[in-house]
Amino acid sequence: MNSQPILSLQSVSKSYGTIKAVSDISLDIPKASIYGFLGPNGAGKTTTIRSIMGILMYDSGNILIDGQPLTRDQLDRVGYLPEERGLYRKMKCIDQLVFLAELKSVPRKVARKRAEEWLERLELSDWAEKKVDALSKGMQQKIQLAATFLPEPELVILDEPFSGLDPINIELLRNIILEERDKGCTIIFSTHILAEAEKICDSICLIEAGKKVLDGNLEKIRKDYPLKTVKVIYHNEEKPAEGLPGVENMELKDGIWKLAIDSGTDTDLLLDKLRETGSVDLFSANRPSLEEIFLNEVHQLRQEVTA
Amino acid sequence: MKVWAIIRREYIEKVRTKGFVLSTLLIPMLMSLMFIIPMLVDDMGGNDVRTVGVFDPSGEFVYQMRDVLELLKKDNYILVETDADEGLTKGITDGAFDVAVSISPDYIESKKLKFYSGTVSSMVNMETLGPVMSRILSVQRQSNAGVSDSLQTYLLARPVWEHVSVNETGETSSANEESTFGIAITLIMILYMMILMYGQHTMMGVIEEKSSRIVEVVLSSVSSTQLMIGKIAGIGLAGLTQFSIWSLVLVWGSKSGVEISGFTLDGSFLTPTILASFLVFFVLGFLLFATLYAGVGAMCNTPQEAQQFAIPLMLCNVIPMMLLSLVIMEPNSSIAIILSLIPLFSPVLMFIRICMETPPLWQIGASWILMLASIWLALKTAGKLFRVGILMHGAAPSWKTLVKVLRQSD
Repeated sequence: MNSQPILSLQSVSKSYGTIKAVSDISLDIPKASIYGFLGPNGAGKTTTIRSIMGILMYDSGNILIDGQPLTRDQLDRVGYLPEERGLYRKMKCIDQLVFLAELKSVPRKVARKRAEEWLERLELSDWAEKKVDALSKGMQQKIQLAATFLPEPELVILDEPFSGLDPINIELLRNIILEERDKGCTIIFSTHILAEAEKICDSICLIEAGKKVLDGNLEKIRKDYPLKTVKVIYHNEEKPAEGLPGVENMELKDGIWKLAIDSGTDTDLLLDKLRETGSVDLFSANRPSLEEIFLNEVHQLRQEVTA
Repeated sequence: MKVWAIIRREYIEKVRTKGFVLSTLLIPMLMSLMFIIPMLVDDMGGNDVRTVGVFDPSGEFVYQMRDVLELLKKDNYILVETDADEGLTKGITDGAFDVAVSISPDYIESKKLKFYSGTVSSMVNMETLGPVMSRILSVQRQSNAGVSDSLQTYLLARPVWEHVSVNETGETSSANEESTFGIAITLIMILYMMILMYGQHTMMGVIEEKSSRIVEVVLSSVSSTQLMIGKIAGIGLAGLTQFSIWSLVLVWGSKSGVEISGFTLDGSFLTPTILASFLVFFVLGFLLFATLYAGVGAMCNTPQEAQQFAIPLMLCNVIPMMLLSLVIMEPNSSIAIILSLIPLFSPVLMFIRICMETPPLWQIGASWILMLASIWLALKTAGKLFRVGILMHGAAPSWKTLVKVLRQSD
């Protein structure tokens, strides 16, 4: 985090007519990290990504790579897998990989060699000379992954990469992402599947309605995020006493009592108080999951908007 | 560099298709059939036996007719005498006669003849029988006026034609006007078909990239303008390749005097000037149409959607073909000059004028300049449609969205 971020967005905004798709978003994406770009559908994730990739012209703000303005030439350093992805159906797999690499300024010969390596790695060597049409959907997804990483970009942006992937390819993609990160590549991916993000992200940014809600190191966010619920089970399934310190609400779900607590509640004190009533089997004051944080933030924001 | 990769991909993928191979083989075949068949039909028609019914009360003219027909080498005309006008009409309705002539006994004085015809081919027979009867009239009248036989031979001499064709550098060669004209028309057909075909290939290519969703990946590496230019150039080069193959075959064929159904390939018309102007008009015409077609493709998701926008463009392809005869008849009339200067029409109409007789150079130059200016305009327009349209999916575009996009400032 102390080194210079590989990619910075400074107050980037983009409107479609009167609709503000992205408003005043600023981000710093640390080098060699996995960065989750999260938000509900329609939050402005794809618009932001397309702005970075020079596919859309953003209205205002700056986008910097290594502190320098991100020009079209610099985009050769950035790999991109869009949400709506496809391949030339009538083209041979190997030609396709070579062509897409050439568009990233990889010399033909180098591209061909790497394409062969990637096909081998993905167990598709036998299909190299086959047309894309002949491949199954899962195989086509592998080719798309190979095409994204083949030019050895320093930064890779994946837009909803897991949507539509079969479980085997999800596993494959996750491994590629981790491997490439360890090699020094920075990976940004957008998703609305938070469990997936939680598993591999180092840092995240949460956006909603075109605005940034929160961003930063995932562990730090979870540590600092005010605790909202505590789960409790009594040995003889009793109900916790009323009037516990900081507890605003209680509800029973699947045999577990969920206690909604006020931020700043001392959980040690709460446990002591619970023990006075009976023998406690489970007391869970875990950090909130990303999903809880996400839902909480989005709800809060939407309430503010309607209020 | 990146544009080269796009050009190469478009070119190789196009040249490899079955469609390309097939059209390279089939189009020349169709073209040669197109003008071999009329020639064959003409040959057969010309030598068909024609039965002509003749009612000649004087009994003299029919012998003279036979003599003249022999003189004109029209031995496929058989004269059959009848004894009344009614026999002539009946003969035509029965199908016994193709046509019939009734000659009044005082033909030499009154000049009166009756020509009977039943079929559409009567024009052909009129063309033959007309001169025959004129000649009989002249011979008889000269005899009546006391002109001697030797003087008559002198007076009734028939011209001996030699056809000389002059090209723009002033060289002359003996030529068959019909085959020269045939080659000109063939070139026009090829030009028209290639511009239409390759223009539409460009549109389909763009639509395919959109519908297969590869376009966004490509646009993350190159600008939409680079993609458009690479695409148009690649497809255009494939077209040039096809044309080069044909010209080579044609030049080789005419050099070695290949005969197709008795017709010798005559390459003398295909001068470097003609071939070069064909190339220029193909390149300019293709660039203009392909750019517009590419713009249309960028706005649409499916070939069906593209049809409504492509129709006006196709009309611009077709209209000059419909105006072709107008220009051929009077290549230097002011209407022909104006039409051939309209950029969308120039490829066909200016080129046919060059084939007919070389128009003033300033007119050729003006058509090129106008076309280049239009290409520039088309590139700007299509570039805009490309930037905005290429990522649009979903709803079918309407003329309204098209206008809206064009009005947007960059």
